[in-house]
Amino acid sequence: MSLAAEAFVSQIAAAEPWPENATLYQPLKEDQILLSDSASSLAVQTFLRMCGLPVLVSCRANAEYMSPSGKVPFIHVGNQVVSELGPIVQFTKAKGHALSDGLDDVQRAEMKAYMELVNNMLLTAELYIQWCDDYTATEISRPRYSNPYSWPLNHVLAYQKQWEIRRKMNAIGWSGKNLEQVYEDVSQCCQALSQRLGTQPYFFNKQPTELDALVFGHLFTILTTQLTSDELAEKVKSYSNLLSFCHRIEQTYFKEHEREGQFGSSRHSKSSLP
Amino acid sequence: MAAPLELFCWKGDYGLPSVDIDCLTVLAYAKFAGAPLKVHKITNPWRSPTGTLPALKTREEGSISQPSKIIIHLRKQKYNADYDLSAKEGADTLAFVSLLEEKLLPALVYTLWIDSKNYVDVTRGWYAENIPFPLNFLLPNRMHSQQLEKLRLVRGDAVLEPGEQLEKELCRDAFECMTLLSQRLGSQKFFFGESPSSLDAYVFAHLAPLLKIKLPNGKLQQHLNSLNNLQQYCSNILDLYFPSDAREAPGHKIHVQPHSGDFDNEPHKRRNQILSVLFAVGAMLGYAIFTGIVKIKRERPQLNNSSHHVEDEDDED
Repeated sequence: MSLAAEAFVSQIAAAEPWPENATLYQPLKEDQILLSDSASSLAVQTFLRMCGLPVLVSCRANAEYMSPSGKVPFIHVGNQVVSELGPIVQFTKAKGHALSDGLDDVQRAEMKAYMELVNNMLLTAELYIQWCDDYTATEISRPRYSNPYSWPLNHVLAYQKQWEIRRKMNAIGWSGKNLEQVYEDVSQCCQALSQRLGTQPYFFNKQPTELDALVFGHLFTILTTQLTSDELAEKVKSYSNLLSFCHRIEQTYFKEHEREGQFGSSRHSKSSLP
Repeated sequence: MAAPLELFCWKGDYGLPSVDIDCLTVLAYAKFAGAPLKVHKITNPWRSPTGTLPALKTREEGSISQPSKIIIHLRKQKYNADYDLSAKEGADTLAFVSLLEEKLLPALVYTLWIDSKNYVDVTRGWYAENIPFPLNFLLPNRMHSQQLEKLRLVRGDAVLEPGEQLEKELCRDAFECMTLLSQRLGSQKFFFGESPSSLDAYVFAHLAPLLKIKLPNGKLQQHLNSLNNLQQYCSNILDLYFPSDAREAPGHKIHVQPHSGDFDNEPHKRRNQILSVLFAVGAMLGYAIFTGIVKIKRERPQLNNSSHHVEDEDDED
């Protein structure tokens, strides 16, 4: 959105309270959604729960195309549509709900930096494993991505997405990496997060922030998603404070609301943490 | 220690040791870590061992081109500027480098390569002047489309429209990033205390071009100038670690005098041009005489030659 439009939207947003029928759209959970999208969606859901804002999750096959920026998830609140965690955080801030107000300048700088770390390394690694690893792409990503469509559209869309992601990896210099190096990068990223978390309950001590939501979204999804190999989950599991961090957030924000679990069970994901 | 490693990088200008961000990162890190590098400042990327710049030529592992890989290699050779960092500071380094790459770099690329005024006036002009003939017709445009494509892919858009809206979005992210860096730096000399680390190399490399290269459309520059501690920080590093480059007269459109230590082709460029022009003129003249378009009249004293000449002409007709 341009700056003027954003200011306008913020004003409108501030005028209305959070409605009861706010909806979050994501691809189909059982058959279609992939690891990276699932992680992003969970991060947004966690953030909204941390703010205490109710949201209904709606699964649509064409969620990616409905989104204003082409990325999932996106939320439909009142008469506005906002996609991706960054803009959603700003949108909720305009409505008066913010998690990071208590941070000072240095902490806010660190929070933003660590969020970019997750986006830069963890999300990119997820995309790489899904689309640039031939085995995973053939067995999991392409069939799932094109599941709602019939032949020949399913092949066209799946390959188109794969080529796009591979070109992106090329542009940022990840195409020269092999799978081992990517796992190593994930490990480094987790180590950095683990160092920053230390023994605190949340990244910025007592209060959860959007960084906690983002990290939880990605780590929980990695831990509970079955891929062709378990190595990614193993890398995360080797950091015990990250594991207990995920447990804690799951207990606090998801178990107390719904007994049957937000995540349900599907062939793709396990229902709770191992 | 082993023979010094060789680094190929873009030439410097405007008071900077190099005009390219990746090259600056590697040069700065090498200075901070005290790595003895033999630096070749060239203007022809096709002359580097990998075809792109920067490129580090090692004896054991071939040539490396990515700045992060080069830094890892230098660390393996025991040139480690991050030796004194605690584990948390190491984690912070990773995080802030990601912040730079996600938020500041797209805006930088836009400002230098995609914004039409800046690209035409400054960037393309510099590269066209400095890359040797005939690549200077080919490479700047190719680099321009590469950067455009890279920006589009990184943003994940289907199509990228350079214009005010895109510029505003990128600038907003970049302003926020610079403000955050300024807040993190505070009044310290370097990000982690008194001695510089790899994070300082990355931050310096991304901010120094903004500081030194005068651009017609300079929104990012204005914001950087309003952040005094970052400005001071960059000037500090330039004065401390690159004093010889900082002393060069800044300003655009410098014609570089060939230094004795330079490895580029400047001294031969003029000679090659004159030779090629002479060759072309000679070839045209020869063809003209050969086919009879131009006839050379011989004077009478060369009587024998003229009879030969007539026979030649008869043969040709």
